[in-house]
Amino acid sequence: MATQRVLPQSKETLLQNYNKRLKDDIRSILDNFTEIIKTAKIEDETQVSRATQAEQDHYEMHVRAANIVRAGESLMKLVSDLKQFLILNDFPSVNDAISLQNQQLRSLQEECDKKLTSLRDEIAIDLYELEEEYYSSSYSQWDSTDLPLCEAYRQRDSWASPGSSCSSTQGDREDVDGPPSQETNPQHHLNGHGTASIEKP
Amino acid sequence: MANERLRALEEVEKEIAMILQCAGNIVLELSKDKHNASFLDRQLVQFQSSVNRVENELSSQIRYLTQVATGQPHEGSTYSARKDCQMALNRAEYAKVKLGELGRTCEVMLEQQQQQQQQQQQQQT
Repeated sequence: MATQRVLPQSKETLLQNYNKRLKDDIRSILDNFTEIIKTAKIEDETQVSRATQAEQDHYEMHVRAANIVRAGESLMKLVSDLKQFLILNDFPSVNDAISLQNQQLRSLQEECDKKLTSLRDEIAIDLYELEEEYYSSSYSQWDSTDLPLCEAYRQRDSWASPGSSCSSTQGDREDVDGPPSQETNPQHHLNGHGTASIEKP
Repeated sequence: MANERLRALEEVEKEIAMILQCAGNIVLELSKDKHNASFLDRQLVQFQSSVNRVENELSSQIRYLTQVATGQPHEGSTYSARKDCQMALNRAEYAKVKLGELGRTCEVMLEQQQQQQQQQQQQQT
């Protein structure tokens, strides 16, 4: 029915088009409404018969009412276009929305990581106690090359204070001597028992 | 800030509907034999105020857009933060799965231990 409107090139042209549409639609509503009210006035003297005049007035009011409704719908379309233009081109608000979203996502990520870190620390403490219990019992079948967490802590403490005696529950612990590199202790602390990737000198 | 402007435009849409409703009420009232003058006055005042509000609000929005719009596309994104957050949630989910497996393993071990104890008690009796 209506050919597709060619979109204007620049934003100034687009905004001027919006202004024009606004003015035209408001003007259309006011003029058509005013004319309807004027037509509603009963006149005694008419150029044609009363019936003809009434029919003409009826048709005119019909058309003007349709014009008012069309102008109203055109205003609604204009509001929709303005909303779309606002979402796409209002950079200050888009920047604010992006920074707010980033802030929320980062805080969620930090909270998640903080809880995971505290969980890791709690489990490391429990693991230390469990290993101490296990390796001091008669059920342990650990390999002499592996260093459980409790022993790693003991050795680290003994190296830190050479005067203190290094208590070892296993007799063949001399095979596992030579201080491991400093980096292995934090790794033990982090990973607990069984990190075979640690190289012993 | 963006939400306020969009909400203002939604209010404008309601005002446009109010304009048409007031115009219809006025014509309906005029079609009656006896008009209610006060009702007509109220509706007319509301009609005029709605028209003025719509025109002023839309003009101010268009003026603001004239000052702010550049015609260039916005190239900001929240992709990196969203990806980091997604990975953090994946880490948490993985930890949950592993802890669940550990819990199930402990339960199985405890059941076996209880069964062994029961067998030993039966043998003793």
